[in-house]
Amino acid sequence: MTDLPLDAAAGPRPAPRSLLEADPRTAARNRAEARFRAYGLAALLVGLAALVLLLGSILWNGFPAFTQTRVSLPVELSQAELDPEGTGDPAVIAKTSTFGFDDLIEAALAKAVVEAGIGTDLEPGDLADLLSSGAAAQVRDAVLADPSLVGQTVEFDLLASSRVDGYLKGRVTRESLADDRNLSPAHLDVVDALAARGAVSRGFNAAFILGADASEKRPEAAGIGVATLGSLTMMLVVLGLSLPLGVAASIYLEEFAPKNRFTDFIEVNIANLAAVPSIVFGILGLVAFIQFAGLPASAPLVGGLVLTLMTLPTIVIVTRASLKSVPPSIRDAALGVGASRMQAVFHHVLPLALPGIMTGAIIGMARALGETAPLLLIGMVGFVASNAPDGVLASFTSPNSAMPAQIYEWAKRADPAYYERAWGGIILLLVFLLLMNLGAVLLRRRFERRW
Amino acid sequence: MNDMRLTERAPVVDHSKISARNVNVHYGPAHALKDVSVEIGDRLVTAFIGPSGCGKSTFLRCLNRMNDTIPIARVTGSIELDGQDIYDRRVDPVQLRAKVGMVFQKPNPFPKSIYENVAYGPRIHGLARARADMDAIVEKALRRAALWNEAKDRLHSPGTGLSGGQQQRLCIARAVATEPEVLLMDEPCSALDPIATAQVEELIDELRRSYSVVIVTHSMQQAARVSQRTAFFHLGSLVEYGETGQIFTNPRDPRTESYISGRIG
Repeated sequence: MTDLPLDAAAGPRPAPRSLLEADPRTAARNRAEARFRAYGLAALLVGLAALVLLLGSILWNGFPAFTQTRVSLPVELSQAELDPEGTGDPAVIAKTSTFGFDDLIEAALAKAVVEAGIGTDLEPGDLADLLSSGAAAQVRDAVLADPSLVGQTVEFDLLASSRVDGYLKGRVTRESLADDRNLSPAHLDVVDALAARGAVSRGFNAAFILGADASEKRPEAAGIGVATLGSLTMMLVVLGLSLPLGVAASIYLEEFAPKNRFTDFIEVNIANLAAVPSIVFGILGLVAFIQFAGLPASAPLVGGLVLTLMTLPTIVIVTRASLKSVPPSIRDAALGVGASRMQAVFHHVLPLALPGIMTGAIIGMARALGETAPLLLIGMVGFVASNAPDGVLASFTSPNSAMPAQIYEWAKRADPAYYERAWGGIILLLVFLLLMNLGAVLLRRRFERRW
Repeated sequence: MNDMRLTERAPVVDHSKISARNVNVHYGPAHALKDVSVEIGDRLVTAFIGPSGCGKSTFLRCLNRMNDTIPIARVTGSIELDGQDIYDRRVDPVQLRAKVGMVFQKPNPFPKSIYENVAYGPRIHGLARARADMDAIVEKALRRAALWNEAKDRLHSPGTGLSGGQQQRLCIARAVATEPEVLLMDEPCSALDPIATAQVEELIDELRRSYSVVIVTHSMQQAARVSQRTAFFHLGSLVEYGETGQIFTNPRDPRTESYISGRIG
C-alpha cells in the first residue's frame, strides 16, 4: 500500500545495535524519567511533612482546651447572708448579687486553706483569684435552682482561674508569673497544697464543646458550642438554598438553554463569580440583606444567605461538569424511546450525575463552613454569644457567631488561655469538616452507579 | 454532478411508509445532506450504504427528528410518515419517537436492570397499567429480541452487565417494547462479533413482519443479506436507490458500482 518506491525504502541500514545495552538516547530518557519521579516523590514528601507538622501542632496546642481544672470547695451557704427570714423564696435569695456570693466563696476558701494547714500571707480577697470570676455566679445559679440548699454547707466543683488551669497544664510557671498582676507565686503554693489534698482536679471540659463564649476576663468558661450551633444553622440555610437553586440552574443551562451569546455571557460570569473574594459577598450581604431587606444583623439566616451566594457558583460549575460527564448516548437512548427532554434528564442523566453533584455540594459547603471574611461584615465576628438561642426558629434569627469567627475572635484576645481555646476550636472545626467529607463519601457510595 | 443525482430512479414502492422529498441538512455551514428523496416501504428492510460521512446516519436521524437535539442542525424539505409531515410545527417529536424507534451504533442500555431497560418506554407512554401487563410486555419484547432465554433468569440484574451482543439485543428489545411502526437502526452490528451479528440479522428479518426497518450499515454483505431495498449515499447525495438485488448485481450508477466493488470508499 506504500507509495514509496521499493528501492528508496531499502536504503542502507544502520549498523545493528545490541538490545542488551541501552543506546545514549534511551539512557538519557531513562535518566529524565528517574529525575521526574524523584521530583514528584520529593514534592509528595514535603507536602506530607507539612501536613504532619500542621496536624501535630494543632493537636499539640489544642488538646489542653479539652480539659479544665476545677477546685472542689465546701461552701457554707449561710442562712443569715442569703435568706435571713428563712422564707425559702427564690425571689428573696435572688436579691443577693454575685458580690454577696463572692464573700461566701472567699470565706470558704480561707477556711479550706486553714483546714489544710497551709500557711500563706494572702488575704481572702486575693485567694479568690484562684477561682474563676464566674465562680460566684455558678454558686448563685445552683442556689437559685434549689433554694433548699440555703443553710447547708455544699461541696461545689468550681472553675479554677485560667492561670491556675495554665499552671496545671504547664503553660504558666513561677517565672512567668513574676510580673503578672493577676496571680503570684504564693498562689501557686496554695494550689500545690490543695492539689496534694485532692481538692484540685483536671477533668474533661464538656463546657468547651457545648458551652457559650465568655467575656475576656473568663477564658476558663469560654466554649464553642453556641458558635457551632450558629455554623450548623448556616449550613442548613446554605444546603437548603444553594443545592436546589444551583442544581436547577445547572440543569437548565446544561440541558435546556439555547447556546447563544446570552448564555455564554452567563457562563463566563458564573466562572467569574466563583473567583470573587468572599469578603465582597459579605459587603453584598450587608447591603442587600441587612440594609435593604431589613433582616437582623449577626443572624445565622443572613450568614447562611451570604454563604449561599458564595457557594452557588461552585455548585453550578461542579454540577454542570458532572452533567456533562454523563455520556450523550444515555440521553440519545432515552430520547430514542420517546422520553421528553425532562424525562431524559430526571430519569437518567441526573441519577448518574448525582454522585458528582453531591461531592460538589459538600465541597462548597465545606468552603462555606470555614469562611470568616464575609461574616465580618454582617456582624457575626466579635459578637459574644453568651447563651444558646431560645428555639429552633430563633436560632436562625437571633444573633450568633460561627466556628471560624469564634476561633478568630479567641486568637485576637490577649489572654494566653484563649490561645489554647483557639487551637481547640480548630480541632473541632476540622472534626466537623471530616464528618462532612465522610458524609460525602458515604453518599457517593450510595448513589454511585457505573455505565 | 446535478445530472447524476438521479432521484427519479427511486423504485415504485407498493405501500410507502415514509416518503422523504428534497431533504437537505446543514450542520452550521456544512451541507451534510443534499436533496434526498426516498420512499421507504412498509414491512420491508431498507438499507442505507455508503462511505463514512456520506450522510446516511444524518438522514436516518432525520426520520425520527433526533437531529433536533443538535443545536446547529437545520433540516429542510419534507418527510411524511403515513402522509403526515413529521416536521410540521404541530408534531411533538416525543410522540413521533414513540412511533419511530431507534437503535444506536453503540449499545447504550440504561444503567438499570434488564427489566427496567425494557419497561422504561412502555412506562413513560402509559402502555401498561398493571404489573402483570408490564411483565407481559417485557417478556414479549425480550422474546422478539431473542434475548428472553438468556435474560429470563436475571431480569433484575444490571443491563450493563450483559455482553456487547446481548446489550445490543437489549437495546432492540427496548426499542420494540413501545410498539413502534418504524425501527431505525444506526449500524447496529458495528460493535458486535460475527455470531452476535448473525443473531441481530436474524432478528431484523424477524422484525420485518411487523415493522418497517431502516438500517444503516457499513457492511455491504450485511445490506445484501438483510435488506429488500438499498440506498447508496455518496458525499451527502442519494446516488442510487432500488431493489437490493439490482443494486448489488446490476447497479445503474458508475459510483455505486465502484463502491460495491471496493474501488471507492
